[in-house]
Amino acid sequence: MSVAVSAPASTPPDRPPGRTARSRPVRPYKWWVPYLFVLPNMVVFGLFTIWPAINGFNISLFDSRNGRTFTPVGLDNYREILADPEFRSVVLHTVVFVIGFVVATVVLATTLALALNAQHRGRGVLRAAYFLPVVISPVVVGLIWSWALTRQNGVVNAVLSGIGMGKPGWLTDPDLAMTSTIVVGLWTHLGFYAMILLAGLQAIPANLYEAARIDGASGWQQIRSITLPLLRPTMLVVIVLSTITGFQAFDFIYTLTGGGPVGATTLIVQYIYEKAFQSPIQYGLAAAGGVLFFVAVFAVTLVNYLLGRRKEAM
Amino acid sequence: MRSAFSLRLPRRSTTGRSTVLRRPGAAVVAVTALLLAACAPGVEEPSVTEAASAPSVPVTAASIDPSSFRGQSLTYVYFTDGPDEQATRTAIGEFEQATGATVNLQIVPFADLEKSLQARLSGGDAPDVARVADWHPYEDQLLQLDDQLGSGYAAEFIEGSAASSKDATGRMVAVPSDLTMNGPLVNVAAFEKAGVALPTADKPWNWERMIADATEVQKANDMESAIAIDKSGHRLSTVLSQFGTRIIGPDGQESLDQAKAEKVFTLLSDQMNSGGIEKDFWLESGSKYKGANDMFLAGAVPVYISGNWQVAQFAKSATFDWAAVPNPCEEACGGFPGGKYMVGFKASKNPQLAAYFLQFMNTAEQQTKIDPVAGWLPTRQDLVEKGIDYPERGKDMQVFLDDVKKTAPDDFLTVSSPVFGASATVLVEQMSAIAAGQVDVSTAVSTAKKEIAALVQDAEK
Repeated sequence: MSVAVSAPASTPPDRPPGRTARSRPVRPYKWWVPYLFVLPNMVVFGLFTIWPAINGFNISLFDSRNGRTFTPVGLDNYREILADPEFRSVVLHTVVFVIGFVVATVVLATTLALALNAQHRGRGVLRAAYFLPVVISPVVVGLIWSWALTRQNGVVNAVLSGIGMGKPGWLTDPDLAMTSTIVVGLWTHLGFYAMILLAGLQAIPANLYEAARIDGASGWQQIRSITLPLLRPTMLVVIVLSTITGFQAFDFIYTLTGGGPVGATTLIVQYIYEKAFQSPIQYGLAAAGGVLFFVAVFAVTLVNYLLGRRKEAM
Repeated sequence: MRSAFSLRLPRRSTTGRSTVLRRPGAAVVAVTALLLAACAPGVEEPSVTEAASAPSVPVTAASIDPSSFRGQSLTYVYFTDGPDEQATRTAIGEFEQATGATVNLQIVPFADLEKSLQARLSGGDAPDVARVADWHPYEDQLLQLDDQLGSGYAAEFIEGSAASSKDATGRMVAVPSDLTMNGPLVNVAAFEKAGVALPTADKPWNWERMIADATEVQKANDMESAIAIDKSGHRLSTVLSQFGTRIIGPDGQESLDQAKAEKVFTLLSDQMNSGGIEKDFWLESGSKYKGANDMFLAGAVPVYISGNWQVAQFAKSATFDWAAVPNPCEEACGGFPGGKYMVGFKASKNPQLAAYFLQFMNTAEQQTKIDPVAGWLPTRQDLVEKGIDYPERGKDMQVFLDDVKKTAPDDFLTVSSPVFGASATVLVEQMSAIAAGQVDVSTAVSTAKKEIAALVQDAEK
């Protein structure tokens, strides 16, 4: 049940003369009251997000092989990780993955959103179909695709070899494996980003298109001059979110390729995970990797945001 | 147009002062957080003198009257491989009956074992006893069993297992509770169809013979590959050991022989290139462990190099006649060992009870009862000599047990090195790099040697 509340247009008739709403005693402003309202949430957020993050930075200044005893090492973990050729290779793989994932996401999700926006019959069913992979566990996604892409008996190669295209090593060829992980990542997240863009498209006033059509603008001209400029803020959101998703990619890749072949799809989160939880355990090094990762994601997100705002203001 | 998803950065206040500056409370919180962050996490590393002065308990459990433990209790942190759980519970029941003490069995997933134990040790909530795959991460926290069970106790176990349960000073800190042995399992039905004889203890294969026979059987049965080997550095160590080299020597240092390791890597990569061993199997799943048991059970391969832990599973799942056969001999015969340990903790509330429990669970009587049900191999000298009656697939288990006797004690020291796990991963990575055609065999072995040496050096810091 909803209750509509509207401000009285004038002083209610039962109010004593001389007393108006304006004359009610005003309580002194207490600056801490708003903080009190958000305090419960901030306590949880602080305990389980902020504090571990601060402590993560703290741990990066120590060496620990067991999580029980810690030896201070200053910035040695940062020096070591930055000098590690494996870390440099992992960063390169992560950059390739993020660029491939973000570019493909923006292009394909926009195309899909435009197609869905133009579709009137069955739009709801199609939207649900494209969104379905988003709700599947990433671990399951990795497993399903690892079976589908297996070279010898996978369904993808069964189809390809049936039409004479051979059996590519989707997960065993180092070059193809990165493409496979990007495609699987796209399959998982495309529906989500397409829905965001679809919401953006549906917020564009229809009369702009009507006016353009009257002025003789073609379909492409409408997209270029109306849709894309007005969709830019939503695209910025998609770029920021997909960049963060790309940087965070781990679970489905771990079950799809395990970071292989020969480390070709090992991204930074897996590197950090392995440093922290696989022998030899190096919590300090893992924490230093985490801090560097945070700085990188923060910087990229900030640049995206600032560029987006500047374009928005233009 | 502004999207509903637009992000906003906090704006500067109209007075020009930042929110933090205007809010002394927020500044105090921030400073406190930074100060707290500057504190060392975890607990301080104990000093050498502190560790040396830790009280020892000079009582030998062997001389203790079991009924003196009546009414006491201990916690046992355990991870299970499957059928061993019930056998362990039965043994615990007998212990409780014999002593009047109670055992709180706490089962944790293997993946969480080390994290869980370290967290408990760090939080002052150490269990009394635990079953572990590697005792080194807790070395400074373990009960000295020579004090508790007598200096002759280690001699009750086979030489390799006993050596692997001692710390650098030669004192026993763990009880080798169960043993695994790597070795080949064969599809007997496929061998019979191909008319190829199986190896015996008197006439074992060498690697050349094994490859030739397996290839013949593969072709006769139209199978996918000739040999399957788990993607594991532990299994690769079996082959290295048979060719006379090890990744870690008895002195704890890197000891891979360049020429011998090259021979092994060449042998395996030749098989991968010719289709004898499935190359994709080694390239999929990164550097993670991957078992080839499904390939064997699917009848896709006639020879599968794994270990005795497969016996119970194959007894249930295999739809064809199969058997364990002796390991191939090159410079050395025998397989490569593995196993688990039981340890007691110094922080135990009752170290005597903990030590007595360790001893009780590893008597000849208990291992004779537990091992046949759990599918484990015994670690005790007397039982390895005498053998154990396994109710199911006893002949296959005996093949593995016979290979225990042929396996060099140095292999036990290799596998119990604190850096064995990480070094084994290096082997897998280099083997995969060869399979992918990214490096030649010589470079792969040199890289492996360098990386393993670095791991050893790092662990010694």
